[in-house]
Amino acid sequence: MAAPVSPAPAPPPQAPTAAPSVAPAAGAPTGKEAAAAGAATTAPAVRSGSTSSKPAKAPTAAASGTSAAPAGSAVPATTPAAAAPPPAASAAALDLNGLEQRLRDTHAIGVFTKLTLKNQVDDLLGKFKSFHQGQSHVTLAQLRQQYEVLLLKVISLLQDDDPSLASAVSSSREAIWGVLTDPKKFANI
Amino acid sequence: MLARSILGFPVLALLGSAGALAAEGASAVQDLRAAIALQGFPCDRVVDSKRNGDSDYTASCKDGNRYHVFVDSAGRVVVKKL
Repeated sequence: MAAPVSPAPAPPPQAPTAAPSVAPAAGAPTGKEAAAAGAATTAPAVRSGSTSSKPAKAPTAAASGTSAAPAGSAVPATTPAAAAPPPAASAAALDLNGLEQRLRDTHAIGVFTKLTLKNQVDDLLGKFKSFHQGQSHVTLAQLRQQYEVLLLKVISLLQDDDPSLASAVSSSREAIWGVLTDPKKFANI
Repeated sequence: MLARSILGFPVLALLGSAGALAAEGASAVQDLRAAIALQGFPCDRVVDSKRNGDSDYTASCKDGNRYHVFVDSAGRVVVKKL
């Protein structure tokens, strides 16, 4: 029998330059403005680069989209896709070193912006450290939210003037998350 | 290492180039505006900026807000509303 024609298989992962699902507060100007305004809601007197919490965003659930073979069939199952390794892992790892340099060199964001983002990255890494040491009451889901928000800020800031880097960062999202959530890998940071 | 490499920007390299911010012209005000907004302060557009020193600026926004933006000794960008 021929394979059943199922409706749409798996939707592709999010587009690299798609608008953030965690919408910034401002009136949707450019990516830079939107990303920066994403943190701007209430303003205390002094701030120094802490990450902000945003509404819940569930971790990405990959839809598997593989069709199951009919039960009881005598036809041998020849499904090459089932044996395929995850494609993103090694490729993304190879990109990371290049991304580091590209983030340093990009002119799409300025020095203060880069440093502010770096401060917020460090804050988030501190939270992951506490999490892995069991000293934090923050859940992994909450860390995921903060990670997503921070990554969206970076991507939004880049997407207007350095779309290829924004796309590369976006593509590395899960690889970075994998490092952050793996205690052994995180310990090497 | 990897995550820090991706999202971490070497502080010293940034501080070294922050002093040249004023020379960047129009992009400098955008940088200040983004840094202000990233820290949660409202600023629709920076209409004026004054360089007080290395990595130390006073920014005036179109909405009337004024901010002191500087890098402290710990390498953190600090935004103080004036």
